[in-house]
Amino acid sequence: MYLQHLRTLLWLRWRLTRNQWRRGGQVNAILSLLVSILGLGLAVAGGVGGLLIGALALAKATPQATMFAWDGIVAVFLFVWLLGLVTEIQRSEVIDASRLMHLPVLLREVFFLNYAASHICLSLAIWVPTTLGLAFGLAVGRGAHQLWLVPLLLAFFFMVTAWTYCLRGWLAALMVNQRRRRAVIMGVTMFVVVLAQLPNLLMNVWRDDTRRVGAAVAHDSGKNAQVVRVCTLANRFAPPLWLPQGAQALQAGRVWPSLIATAGMGLLGLLGLARAYQLTRRFYQGDDRRKTAPPPVATPATKVVRGRLLVERTLPLVPEPAAAVACANLRSMLRAPEVKMALVANVVVFVILAGGIFLKHGAAVPPAGRPFIALAAACLTMLGLMQLLFNQFGFDRDGFRALVLLPAQRWHILLGKNISLLAISLPVFVVLLSLLTVSAHLGPAELLQACLGFCSVQLALGVLGNWLSILTPYRIAAGSLKPTKAKASSQVLMVVASMFMPLLLLPLFVPPLLGFLCNEFTKVPGTPITLLGAVVLLGCSCLLYGCTLKPLGRLLQRREQRILLAVTSEVE
Amino acid sequence: MTLAIETSGLTRRFGSVCAVEGLDLRVEAGKFYGFLGPNGAGKSTTIKMLTGLLAPTSGTMRLLDTDLGDPERARAIKQRIGVVPENLALFDNLTAREYLTFIGRMYLLPPDTVRARCQELLTMMDLAGEETKLTLEYSHGMKKKLALAAALLPDPDLLFLDEPFEGVDAVASRMLRDTLKSFVKRGATVFLTSHVLEIVEKLCTDVGIIAHGRLVQQVSMAEIHAAGTLEERFLAAVGDGQVEAQKLSWLED
Ligand SMILES: Nc1ncnc2c1ncn2[C@@H]1O[C@H](COP(=O)(O)OP(=O)(O)OP(=O)(O)O)[C@@H](O)[C@H]1O
Ligand SMILES: [Mg+2]
Repeated sequence: MYLQHLRTLLWLRWRLTRNQWRRGGQVNAILSLLVSILGLGLAVAGGVGGLLIGALALAKATPQATMFAWDGIVAVFLFVWLLGLVTEIQRSEVIDASRLMHLPVLLREVFFLNYAASHICLSLAIWVPTTLGLAFGLAVGRGAHQLWLVPLLLAFFFMVTAWTYCLRGWLAALMVNQRRRRAVIMGVTMFVVVLAQLPNLLMNVWRDDTRRVGAAVAHDSGKNAQVVRVCTLANRFAPPLWLPQGAQALQAGRVWPSLIATAGMGLLGLLGLARAYQLTRRFYQGDDRRKTAPPPVATPATKVVRGRLLVERTLPLVPEPAAAVACANLRSMLRAPEVKMALVANVVVFVILAGGIFLKHGAAVPPAGRPFIALAAACLTMLGLMQLLFNQFGFDRDGFRALVLLPAQRWHILLGKNISLLAISLPVFVVLLSLLTVSAHLGPAELLQACLGFCSVQLALGVLGNWLSILTPYRIAAGSLKPTKAKASSQVLMVVASMFMPLLLLPLFVPPLLGFLCNEFTKVPGTPITLLGAVVLLGCSCLLYGCTLKPLGRLLQRREQRILLAVTSEVE
Repeated sequence: MTLAIETSGLTRRFGSVCAVEGLDLRVEAGKFYGFLGPNGAGKSTTIKMLTGLLAPTSGTMRLLDTDLGDPERARAIKQRIGVVPENLALFDNLTAREYLTFIGRMYLLPPDTVRARCQELLTMMDLAGEETKLTLEYSHGMKKKLALAAALLPDPDLLFLDEPFEGVDAVASRMLRDTLKSFVKRGATVFLTSHVLEIVEKLCTDVGIIAHGRLVQQVSMAEIHAAGTLEERFLAAVGDGQVEAQKLSWLED
């Protein structure tokens, strides 16, 4: 490895970051600084907290209790880590090796630098000091031999990050093929999402069981012992759990098992890193081992006959340009992997979550609660689509330039965009509502009210979404959900908007509340009141949408050049 | 004679950099106008301002006798304009036919016309065989050809082309040149930038030369030919002293 290369690469990264901050302006620099300070503060707090807990509480625990405590820590860490993976499933390299491969730079150098930089993330910044604090606390409370926890911990984090890096590299390699990457992103996101939801689902399913068998377990110590046995076994054979295993041994005063665990995890980490390097090399330099060329993919003969394209469809009552935008936008959204990821990551989570909960407990919902539950379908759908709704131009990238160049009325463009989103949200809503109908035994009145509510929410959030899309557009990189170009200020606005969106959904629940109150405290039947309220709400939403569409179109026209700058320029 | 393009005092600054400064362009309708200049002279910036992709810092613009100061009229006039911008304007996830169909519909062409023109343009640009490819899978030249097709599709009265021949193969380039010629013959105006002086010399009827954001020459091709070649004129306008003076030191000995 050449020192000069390494120095130059570090300098390159530093320059890129500095220039980026300069371009971003003062507000953004200050915000970024605040986030860094927050991370540092959390790290320090975690370290001190860990130290205190280790010295005062954990030091007095039995070896077995220690093991379970560490089991919990590992489980929570892995869960958080997985969530982080979902949000940024692809590896976004700190230094893009593909821009350096024509230079006399060793891939190894870039690889190690990128791997080292992959450690700079909030979750590690909190977890590493916290767990190290725990280790030192234990050393204070229990004796210096507990310091062997430190290499054990480092080996653990090394193993996890190395394999994560490997996984991301593997995905990146798979995604070189544009077509295959759709399937890959879908599959992997789905997998990770389901995995991340697993604790939730298990909790839901198990809570009942434990409630039922809880009493039995209390006396039945045999069953308890069985649980312990299973856990111990898992600790012996699942590599990430070698950390608790080693910690248990150290707590009991034995050093050797922890050393073996350290060595084992270290070796596994090395293996992961080697694999990651191999993949990276293959990615940038081609597969040098596979001598035979892969069989050529049979390209289908060009179709001569073709039906009407989706982009050719007209929509009744919708102006032609709006229909054209709606169809073309729907067409690209259905193909874009990043949109699919947004859908999968949000909608599927909600469907699985809500489905799980309601299938389990739906029957227990009292009749008075059903109108509220029905509306949940509408709310969950829109929450899931938030990312698409609030940044409607960010997915267009260069395509937005086409929109600016077109002679169409700008409100037609907004209308078209909203219609294409409706085409996506409607099926999701129908699926969710059917799920709820089956599980919570919704009646026709509740279904009708849910549909009215869905229309209202679609319109009202459409207004908000249009407004935010115009004010805070940010670029979404092709094939990833990571907002590559968001300024810190628009990121803050995004977070604020997503925090307040549930509040904005509250008016939706006013009609069923009125109905409920009528039922409870007056002789007036609640259902007609609820329905009437829903109709009024829908009318208000229609009015709001209709009145704001053209002004928002004018706003779009005024700001389109700024939006263009935001969604087309890419910064490293 | 009506003017297709008219600007006065057109200026655009990027921070302290003045990309275009006090530009006074006059392009008559029915002309084939070549806009020349060295790299970074401000050609693309001018086109972006004229087509509404970039707001000018100051100055006024008129296209086809319409003042672009009024946003509503500026939007409406786009109906008669076709553009190939510097960084193109394609949607990643549409096929060529889908993209052209979309553009055609946005220009409010009847469906049958859109279909027929799409087919002709795709055949002309040799993209008809690439039905299944998305534009993000296209090569650089293919993207350029698609953008050209989209600009020609609505049969505009005024065409802005930012380096249309860059990256395009010889066959398509030849066909494009013929198409543009017949375009102008029918009364439309073409405003193009290019670094290939031979092509400009063959095609254009008028030439403007910009350097450091200022228009330094605006002459007809006939005048240029009367006094020499376009290349001589260009080098004289933007400083041919450089060509001789600059040599690489380590290649000298
Ligand atoms: N977004 C921007 N930010 C800052 N400066 C810019 C920006 N766009 C262009 N410039 C500057 O404006 C000047 C003119 O750029 P422009 O792209 O118009 O040149 P050009 O004549 O098209 O050059 P080329 O022949 O290389 O395409 C250059 O000095 C460039 O650095
Ligand atoms: Mg240019």
